[in-house]
Amino acid sequence: MPRTAAAGRTFYGWLYGTEVMPERSVELQTWVLDESGKYGTSNKETWLWWGPVIGVTDQLELALPIELEWQSSEVDNVVKASFTFKRFGIEARYRLVSADPAEAPSLVPLVRIAAKRDVIVRDRLRVEGDAVVSYDLGAVNALVDLGVVADIATSSRHIELRPSGGISVQVASGLRLGAEVYSELSLDARGESWAAVGPNLAWTHGRFWLSGAFGIGVYHIKTAPRVMWGIAF
Amino acid sequence: MRSLRSIASSAIAAIAVVAASGGGAHPAAAGPGGRIIGTVKVTETDGKPVSGPDVIVYMLGFSEPPGDQVATVAQKGRRFVPDLVSITVNERVSFPNNDPFLHNVFSQSPDRQFDLGSYKRGESKEKQFPKAGVVDVYCNIHPEMAATIIVVPNRRHTRVDPTGHFVLEGVPPGEWTVFAYSRRSTRPTSGKVTVKAGADTNVELAIVRGAEPQHLNKYGEKYKEGTQVYKDKDK
Repeated sequence: MPRTAAAGRTFYGWLYGTEVMPERSVELQTWVLDESGKYGTSNKETWLWWGPVIGVTDQLELALPIELEWQSSEVDNVVKASFTFKRFGIEARYRLVSADPAEAPSLVPLVRIAAKRDVIVRDRLRVEGDAVVSYDLGAVNALVDLGVVADIATSSRHIELRPSGGISVQVASGLRLGAEVYSELSLDARGESWAAVGPNLAWTHGRFWLSGAFGIGVYHIKTAPRVMWGIAF
Repeated sequence: MRSLRSIASSAIAAIAVVAASGGGAHPAAAGPGGRIIGTVKVTETDGKPVSGPDVIVYMLGFSEPPGDQVATVAQKGRRFVPDLVSITVNERVSFPNNDPFLHNVFSQSPDRQFDLGSYKRGESKEKQFPKAGVVDVYCNIHPEMAATIIVVPNRRHTRVDPTGHFVLEGVPPGEWTVFAYSRRSTRPTSGKVTVKAGADTNVELAIVRGAEPQHLNKYGEKYKEGTQVYKDKDK
């Protein structure tokens, strides 16, 4: 996209991008994601991620998200649904090279670390990490995002890997199209893993950006659409 | 806003492209150069003369390596000071904030886009300019702040003195075009010169000055009402 990086946006739906906001910039981000039909059930989940993102330096941004979860499950033809304030926390995204488009190399690494407290299970802490690398080749951006998530509580522990990758191509000023694959691979006995692949889209207009992907299940899930947007102030 | 500046920008950018491709522009030849001595007369659109305006004189057609200096465009009194500077390709410009409040520095010029974020008094950030062209710089917080950086492929550029005179030393022999640029030029002005080694060449240039061009913020929007407009000091 031609505009200077003015937001910590991503060109992808499920993948973190490598852009960060300039120092002292503020943006409000919202993510909405669905996960339907996981592990052969008709269960549905919708997550809302919302929070401000603050440019601490030209290479480091902080987010203060809250996460809400809606889920429904059907057992013996009885549908149970719940809506919960799930967790809140803090996350840091550090771009390892200059954010200046004239100085940045084609290969851009970014690391992300987040710590979130579970609201319901009070002693559970979620720790998330991502190693992201993007490569710019003209209008084409390719990205690999290797994520890990650990839910740590006094009596339990759950770890999963979230490897993903994608490609995004600028097709018009402010508009990009591409495709991506995303997966969550459990490392514990529950074995609740899934993967989806699908098209993505990103659009930037002034201080507003939007991106999303429609994940079509290829392993233990039916659909996994996700959309996110941000507005900078 | 773009229409006026883009004319000059295109002129520089076109030469820069030629230089990069190896045609037209070429490295300056070693050996003694000549000197260009000239004057730039600046008038308003109604013909009234303007005294002491900021004018940069530069040349195109040959390239030279950059010097070691770092140019400075300070933020002071809600203005960029100076608001017109010339540098050689690959030189750096620092942007210190000397005001007791936050400023932002950004450019959406096609030849150099950047956003320095917002920073406070006493802090400074630097940018390198690897491509020839005209780079307009603004503050996203204060719409009255505007500056222009002329990025030239050689070191033969200078600021015209308050009386309108300038001297370009060490110009390689040959036939060249000399340009004069003011932030409020209604059109670029230039003159052809033939430079001989060890000799002086005279040139007279004239600029017609218009109104300060309006600009948009870094999101491509108009600035909010209430803040405002460029104050016409003796520029």
